[in-house]
Amino acid sequence: MIRRVEINYRGVFQKRLAKKIGGDVVRIASQMGKVGFSNGRYSDAPERSGIPSKYFAFVSSDLSEEELEAECGAELDIDQADVSIVLDDTLVKGVEPWAWSGIRPINENLRDGGTLVVVTRRTHEDLLKHIPGKPRGWRLATYEGSQSFSGMWVFRDDFTHERTLGAIAAAAPDVMTIEAVEACLNNRHPNDPTRAEAARRAFDEVVEKMKTVVVGTGVESKEAAIVLPKWFEFGEGTVVAAVPRGFEMRPSGQSRNQQYKRGTTRSQRPIIRFDLCTKCALCWLECPDESFDPVPDGLYDVNYTYCVGCGKCAQVCPVQECIVMIDELEFDDESSPWETFSKDRHAYVTWAEDKKSLGRLIHSYVPGSADPQTVKGERIPPKHG
Amino acid sequence: MANERAPKAEAVWERRDLLTGCQAVAEAVRLADVDVIAAYPIRPYTEVMDAISKLIADGQLDAEYVIADSEHSQFEIVKHASSVNARTFAGSSGTGWCYGLEALVVTATDRLPVLYLVGNRALDDPGAFGVEHNDAMMVRDVGFLLCWVTTPQEALEHVLIGYRVAEDKGVQMPMAIAMDGAFLTHSQHMVDIPSLGTVRRYLRRYDLSKRRMHPDNPISIAPQVNEDWVMELRRQNWEAARSARTVIKEAYREFNGVFGDRYTNPFFTEFMTEDAETILIGLGTVAAPGRTAVTRLRAIGEKVGYVSMRWFRPFPTEELRACLGRFRSIGVIDRDFAHGSPDDGGILMEEVRSTLYPLDNRPVVVDFIAGLGGRDISISDCMAMFRLTQQAASQAGMDGFVKWIGLRE
Repeated sequence: MIRRVEINYRGVFQKRLAKKIGGDVVRIASQMGKVGFSNGRYSDAPERSGIPSKYFAFVSSDLSEEELEAECGAELDIDQADVSIVLDDTLVKGVEPWAWSGIRPINENLRDGGTLVVVTRRTHEDLLKHIPGKPRGWRLATYEGSQSFSGMWVFRDDFTHERTLGAIAAAAPDVMTIEAVEACLNNRHPNDPTRAEAARRAFDEVVEKMKTVVVGTGVESKEAAIVLPKWFEFGEGTVVAAVPRGFEMRPSGQSRNQQYKRGTTRSQRPIIRFDLCTKCALCWLECPDESFDPVPDGLYDVNYTYCVGCGKCAQVCPVQECIVMIDELEFDDESSPWETFSKDRHAYVTWAEDKKSLGRLIHSYVPGSADPQTVKGERIPPKHG
Repeated sequence: MANERAPKAEAVWERRDLLTGCQAVAEAVRLADVDVIAAYPIRPYTEVMDAISKLIADGQLDAEYVIADSEHSQFEIVKHASSVNARTFAGSSGTGWCYGLEALVVTATDRLPVLYLVGNRALDDPGAFGVEHNDAMMVRDVGFLLCWVTTPQEALEHVLIGYRVAEDKGVQMPMAIAMDGAFLTHSQHMVDIPSLGTVRRYLRRYDLSKRRMHPDNPISIAPQVNEDWVMELRRQNWEAARSARTVIKEAYREFNGVFGDRYTNPFFTEFMTEDAETILIGLGTVAAPGRTAVTRLRAIGEKVGYVSMRWFRPFPTEELRACLGRFRSIGVIDRDFAHGSPDDGGILMEEVRSTLYPLDNRPVVVDFIAGLGGRDISISDCMAMFRLTQQAASQAGMDGFVKWIGLRE
C-alpha cells in the first residue's frame, strides 16, 4: 500500500514551506513505523517566482524503501495523489507542469476518492467555479488561511506548516494520525503547545469542511491534453524559431512567444481604470514581461495570458486608483479589459470598482511579515462623463 | 575515579534524521572535519554548499569556506589548500564541472586528494537540470577516483570512505562522488548519522608527509617539463590508480569493522544474480526500479538479476569480469551517451564489453540509452529492458544492439 501526498505551492515564495511539510510527513510516518521519502518536481526549480510547483511525500507500511522509491521516486510526477494540498488558493485555476508546456487542472492527479485540501478564506462553491470536474467522485476540504510566504530567505512562521500537517492527517489518517502529528510537534517544541493545538484545530476544520464532490460538478477544462514533439520534429542544434516580428496598435497586437504563457503564475491581476489613465506609458515601459499593448486611443491594454501579476505596473502608476491589484480568483477569463472598456465605459468602471471592493489585496512592505489585507478602496467615479 | 577514566562506549550511530542526498554529504563533510571548502553555485550541487554553509553558521563545523568566482577558481583553491595538508571539499554539476576541468586535471596529476561531489546534470545545451552522467565521466581518464552512490545513506558513508581511499599514502588521488541530480540530490530520506567519535576511529588524519607544502618543508610543485619527464610521471600516477584497487578493499573492510557489516563488495552490488541468466547493470539510482523489476520477474520464475555499479575509476576489471562472465546476456543501462563510439552506445557499455573481451564464452551485451536529461526510468521501462536482453541471448545479430528507451519517436 502506498499513500501519496502532493503539495502544490508557488515557486520561490513557498518553497521552504512545501519542503518542510513534505519532510515532516515522512518524519512522522516513520515514527509510526512506516517507510517514506519526500521529493519535489525538480525541474520546476530553481523556480521562477510564483510558478506553480509541487512537492511530494510518499509513505508505505508494507513496501521496502527501495521499492517505494522505484514506484514513486523514479518518476517525475504522480497521477494518484491521495491528498493534494494547495498552499495558495489561486492555484485552483490550474497549474502548469515544468517548461510551460500547458495548463493542467489542479485536481488532475487526484485518485478516485482523493482529497484536495485548500488553504483559503473562500467557500467550496467559490473554489468549484474554477476547478474542473472529474469522471469519478473526489473530496474537497478547506482550512482558513491566506497564502503563507516562506521563500528562499524567509520563513514566515505563521503555523501554516503545522496546520497543514493537521489537515493532511484529517484527509488521510492512514498517512499519519493527528495524534502522531501532535506528538511530533510537542516533542520538537516542548515548551510551546500552541503548534500542536494549531494542527489539531486545522484537523477539526478539515474534518468539518470535507465534502464529496459528485461527478458532474465543476467547470469544464478548457485545456487540451499536452502533446510533446518527437525527436525529429525539433530544430537541430537546439534552434528555436524566434517570435515573428510585427506590431499592431491593438489588444494582443505585439508578437509574443506562444511557449511562454504565464497566466498560472499570477495570484493577483492588475485592474485598470482606463478613464483615469494619463497615458504616461510607465506601465508599458516598466512591465518586466512586456504584457502591455498600446491601443489606438493612446491607452495601454494588458494581456492577462502573459501577465504574472507581479504588481510592478500598479506600483509605478502615478495616478491613484488607476491600476490596482485584485485577487485572481475574482476572475474567470483573460479577455482584453480595454475592449470591454471601449464597448461600455460606465459598465466597465462599475465592474472594476465592484472587483476592487471584493478582492483588493494590500501586501506588507516586508514580504511575509504580515497577512495580506483585503481592503475596500475609495470608490472613484468615472471620469470625463 | 576508575569509572571516569574508563573509555565511554560510544554508540556508532548518533541519530536518525531526514536528509536529502546533498544534506547527507554536508553531514559527512562535518563528520570528516574538513578544513577548506570552496564553493560556487550550480544546480543540483548548490544544495551541498547551502547545507555546509548552514553547518558552519550554526557552529557545527569549523572550516574555511570560500565562495569562489567560478568553478575554475573553486577547484584551484581546494587544490592549493590540499597541497598544504588541508582536508578539502568542493563540487559542481554539469557544465560547471566542465568549466573547472583544467583545474581538475592538474589536481589529478599533482596527486592531491581533494574530494568532490558531482551532482549529475545534463550538459548544456539546452539548459536543463536533470541527471545525465556525461559530466562526471569527463574525469574518467585523467587520474581521478570516481564512484556513484544510490541513496543518501550511501552518500554520507562514501564521503568518509572517499577520504579514506583518496588520502591513503599509496593513492593520494582526487576523488569524485557522483550522485544523480534530483533523484538523489534532492530526495529526502531517513538517514542514520554516525557519531563523531566513530568517524574519528575510522578516518585517519590527512598527512601529505614530505609532499606537504610548508615553510618548514620547502618544495615546489609541478614545474614545466619537457619530453624527458612526462611518461615516467604518468607511469607513477598509474601505479597509484592500480594500488587504489587494493586500498578500496581495505577501506571497506575497515569501514565494516567500525560501522558494522555494511558492504559485501566494495565495487558493485549484485542482486539476485546467483542463478541468473540475464542481468541489467547500471550506475546510480536506476538500481531502485531495476531491482524492483527483478523481484517482479523472479516472482514469475524468470532467472534475472541486477548489478549496481559503484566504482567506475579505478574500474574493477577482475571482479566485474568474474561476475559478468557467468551470465548469458547483459543489458547495460547508460544514463550517458558516447557520441560516435563503437556501435554508438554509452560509456558504461563500452567499458563492460571491453572488460568481457578476453573471455572465451562472452555473454551477449546490449545497451540501453535511458533517462538522459532526467527523463524518468520506470519499473516498466526496466521490465522492457529485461525482455530485450533476454531476447538478445537467443536471437542472432543482437550482440551490440543499442536501444534508446523512453524516447519520443
